[in-house]
Amino acid sequence: MSFEKSHTYEALNRIGRGAYGTVYKAKDKKTGNDVALKRVCVPLSEDGIPMNTLREISLLRQLNTHDHPNIVRLLDVCHGQQMERELIMYLVFEHVEQDLSTYIERHSKGFSGVQIRSLSREILNGVDFLHSNRIVHRDLKPQNLLVTHDGHIKLADFGLAKTYDFEMKLTSVVVTLWYRAPEVLLGLTYATPVDIWSIGCIIVELYSLKPLFCGESDGDQLSKIFRVLGKPPESEWPEENISIKWNSFNVNSQISIDRICPNICETAYDLIMSMLTFNPKRRITALEALNHRFFLEEPINT
Amino acid sequence: MPGWYYDKKELRHSPSAQDGIDYKTEMRYRKEGARLIINTGSKMDLGYNTMATGVVYYHRFYMFHSFKQFPRYVTACCCLFLAGKVEETPKKCKDIIKTAKSLLTDQKFTTFGEDPKEEVMTLERILLQTIKFDLQVEHPYQYLLKYAKCLKGDKQKLQKMVQMAWTFVNDSLCTTLALQWEPEIIAVALMYLAGKLSKFEVVDWMGRNTKHCRWWDMFVEDVTMDLLEDICHQVLDLYSQSDAPIHPDSPPLHSNAKQQMPSLRPSNGQEKTLSPDRPPSVNAKGPPLSDVPQFPYQTFTGAPPPAAAYASVFPSSMAGPPGGPPPHLSGPPPHIAAPPPAVFSYVNHPPPFSTVVPPGAPPYFPANAPPPGQPPQHRPYYPPQ
Ligand SMILES: Nc1ncnc2c1ncn2[C@@H]1O[C@H](COP(=O)(O)OP(=O)(O)O)[C@@H](O)[C@H]1O
Ligand SMILES: [Mg+2]
Repeated sequence: MSFEKSHTYEALNRIGRGAYGTVYKAKDKKTGNDVALKRVCVPLSEDGIPMNTLREISLLRQLNTHDHPNIVRLLDVCHGQQMERELIMYLVFEHVEQDLSTYIERHSKGFSGVQIRSLSREILNGVDFLHSNRIVHRDLKPQNLLVTHDGHIKLADFGLAKTYDFEMKLTSVVVTLWYRAPEVLLGLTYATPVDIWSIGCIIVELYSLKPLFCGESDGDQLSKIFRVLGKPPESEWPEENISIKWNSFNVNSQISIDRICPNICETAYDLIMSMLTFNPKRRITALEALNHRFFLEEPINT
Repeated sequence: MPGWYYDKKELRHSPSAQDGIDYKTEMRYRKEGARLIINTGSKMDLGYNTMATGVVYYHRFYMFHSFKQFPRYVTACCCLFLAGKVEETPKKCKDIIKTAKSLLTDQKFTTFGEDPKEEVMTLERILLQTIKFDLQVEHPYQYLLKYAKCLKGDKQKLQKMVQMAWTFVNDSLCTTLALQWEPEIIAVALMYLAGKLSKFEVVDWMGRNTKHCRWWDMFVEDVTMDLLEDICHQVLDLYSQSDAPIHPDSPPLHSNAKQQMPSLRPSNGQEKTLSPDRPPSVNAKGPPLSDVPQFPYQTFTGAPPPAAAYASVFPSSMAGPPGGPPPHLSGPPPHIAAPPPAVFSYVNHPPPFSTVVPPGAPPYFPANAPPPGQPPQHRPYYPPQ
């Protein structure tokens, strides 16, 4: 039974139009619950549904059996109308109130230290779970973090990296560079530390209410990063053959993180700096971060 | 999302039953499809996990559709095709069809229609939708090996027992056991059966404590003897069916294996004996099913062969634990001195944080992430305050 014919879900309105698919709010007619339907278009290959897509969907389903509190629940997978060369799939998720970018907009007066600590911990918790299942999110940003009506974080939009890659070649989508780790910008191989970098950027944003590094190209993004964090010493520059050269960056004046967010406490500053470490091998891991002093302190309101 | 386990009543009220196919016939169709998957897979050098996954898809599919509507051999090919991709051992659709064709009579192959590849490819989407994209399936094999590591006793006997249990697991794919019980339970039951038949009694095991009456109490909870024996009987029943193809090299071991196991009580309160019209010796039986030719590596052996012959008799990937006898059986590895894995109940979900390795897992992991191939450590959540 295909999605269109099933009448199980009644689409209400479009809530998101990301780079890869359209997300609709809908009602599950059986339960009356709100759901989010994500329409994903999978190009069919000579041999049917591509292996990567199958692997990724199966992994998503598998992850779901753990009921992790900081991961958005996948409720169902349906397929849409049959096309000659592609498969339309609908991923049915629990509906979550808003994403973090909306949540930040709605809190123009800022967040308390306690709130920031709690949001940060939940983000790290979800990411630690993904990492312990060998999933790199690759695209952590406020739009991909959902916030429930009672202020809890649920990670969304992960697990289909390879399926997307395939489609990316067909569409010319602009993916934001702002939360990208230096190794990604430099085109190097990357792994779980890229997500930690993104979380570092997001935590700063929770303090300052605006994105930390708003670059317009890979090179521009790197210079914006270096302007805050300083340029790494030449010895730290990756040895691999990369097109972007160390001496192409001129960093004169430096603006430090505590100038960008004056309300930051010392432990948060320390945690953020260990997340925004240039060398991915020396960047803190999600598990280490969860055990950082920042999360062990008394919940003092700052 | 649906659960994938059914009780016996539900199995008898399958879509095929509602479509007028009697139970015995349905069981035969299930067996024939499963066998085609295994034989095709073996011939194409696919791994035992891939074949087992394909078979489980097949059984699940027919809990939603009737054999009248979807011809069994097309479905079998489609399940193997899909399992190949999911288990990262993909085979071309046309090659699977070609191999299956070589294993089927021309008459059986007519169900593939004018354009067999199109037939299978179209079915792929129906199959995916039917099994709800729930593609990750666990099998008893891994549990068998895990449990065997903990058992103490004569190494050779243990090895024989494991080999025999392995064959029982292969054969259990032809039953609907995978629709009834979790792989952990099936592994325990078939090790129990193999232990009985190979006269290997487990008297001691690693991680034993006073609460454990039986070795499996360490791994599964609330498994009764009745349940174990019911599972064993479902597998043994395969060997007393007249259509069981016989491996030509099969020793004249009797299909009345149950009679060798005095303690294996009859299930369903009904005395299980071989019916008089069935000769007791498998070799004395009539010709094997014409539609499934035999191969020297046929896993469906028709009888539990003596364990000694195993490794050499079955060269295929289905035949025995990977890489021959499990290496750990040659001596207790130092690292399993630690207490055994946690006990979990059998009405359960996969243990928390089981490993799933996405394709092309990143080349390096931070120091505290588990190395590829090893389950991540179980870590507590940090609950929201
Ligand atoms: N489960 C959900 N509940 C509510 N809103 C959602 C949900 N999933 C996604 N969204 C909204 O839709 C947007 C796009 O969804 P996402 O899964 O990130 O797709 P894309 O891959 O296109 O970025 C998100 O930024 C978010 O605002
Ligand atoms: Mg997104």
